[in-house]
Amino acid sequence: MAEPAPSAADLALIDPDGHFRLRLLEDRRMLAGGDRSEAGLAAVIHRLAGAAGTFGYGEVGAIALGLDDRLAEGGRIGADDLARLVAALDRAIARSA
Amino acid sequence: MALGEVPGSVGELADDAYAAAEMQTRILVVEDDKDIALLLARELRGLGHTVDAVSLAEEASLAARSSDYAMLIVDLGLPDGDGLDLVRELRRRSVEAPILMLTARRRVQDRVIGLSSGADDYLVKPFAVPEMRARVTALLRRPSRRRGQRIAFANLLIDGEALEALVNGESLCLPRKQFQLLELLARRRNHMTPKHMIEETLYGFDDEVSANSIEAQVSKLRRALNTAGAGVRIETRRGIGYRLVGVDPAARWNG
Repeated sequence: MAEPAPSAADLALIDPDGHFRLRLLEDRRMLAGGDRSEAGLAAVIHRLAGAAGTFGYGEVGAIALGLDDRLAEGGRIGADDLARLVAALDRAIARSA
Repeated sequence: MALGEVPGSVGELADDAYAAAEMQTRILVVEDDKDIALLLARELRGLGHTVDAVSLAEEASLAARSSDYAMLIVDLGLPDGDGLDLVRELRRRSVEAPILMLTARRRVQDRVIGLSSGADDYLVKPFAVPEMRARVTALLRRPSRRRGQRIAFANLLIDGEALEALVNGESLCLPRKQFQLLELLARRRNHMTPKHMIEETLYGFDDEVSANSIEAQVSKLRRALNTAGAGVRIETRRGIGYRLVGVDPAARWNG
């Protein structure tokens, strides 16, 4: 079950300068872009898997964790997986605006 | 990436607080994710600790050589190497501070490998900030491998539990700062101890440290060791620091 996006009060404590939210925007751009490399994609997913949950973005973190595990086990991720992650990022960004 | 400092120690202390303050709360964070590193640094400072943060294993290795950390938080996946290798190297070098491993690897097997490599605890990313704070506090509260340790060197015995230094079984009756200095030098015996590391151990952030404070403490300690007939001497390397070495009692240094 995905956790709700952080409240403004949570973010003021965990991400007072908004750095992590900016990173979500950059990651979303990268994931949705067409010129991404596999290594770059894996790096963004790994970073999101490790950090998104800590910063209160539970849904993004959970999806990224699942994809990161799959990559670690030698699996591949498809366009629908990426679309799911991008959609979660959109929701997280919209809620934390 | 140095993230600055916050005071983590105090100056003059009551006896019962002495042992706690003896172990400075300077923490090294080794994490290449900038956001996580900044979050850790901010939270740890909020707990009153001094925090240094680096993003590479090589930087961490160098930092651990030049500062005496009370604790290290090490991410497993570093850009220039595996955090496990770093932990193994630090333990080989007798770095005894507790190490909290931080990782996105969630399998039990990974946690077992981390702990058996020399880490004291394991925190899986993503982590809840209150859990991180609780684990750090618990690790720092644990009796350290260092605290209460006895160090024997030549005819010198330093009893960390009794806060006493003895030469041939006779107490040197050292004042607090000289005892702390001797203990630090003895722990790093035969290795240069940088002057700033001595400053961090002997003085708090708010203490005024004059230009020759360390030299004065070293001079007094040398006199005490010499008078007691200790089989050790303190070498000076100008601009670098000090080193405690053993000497042949017959050729004991008289400086």
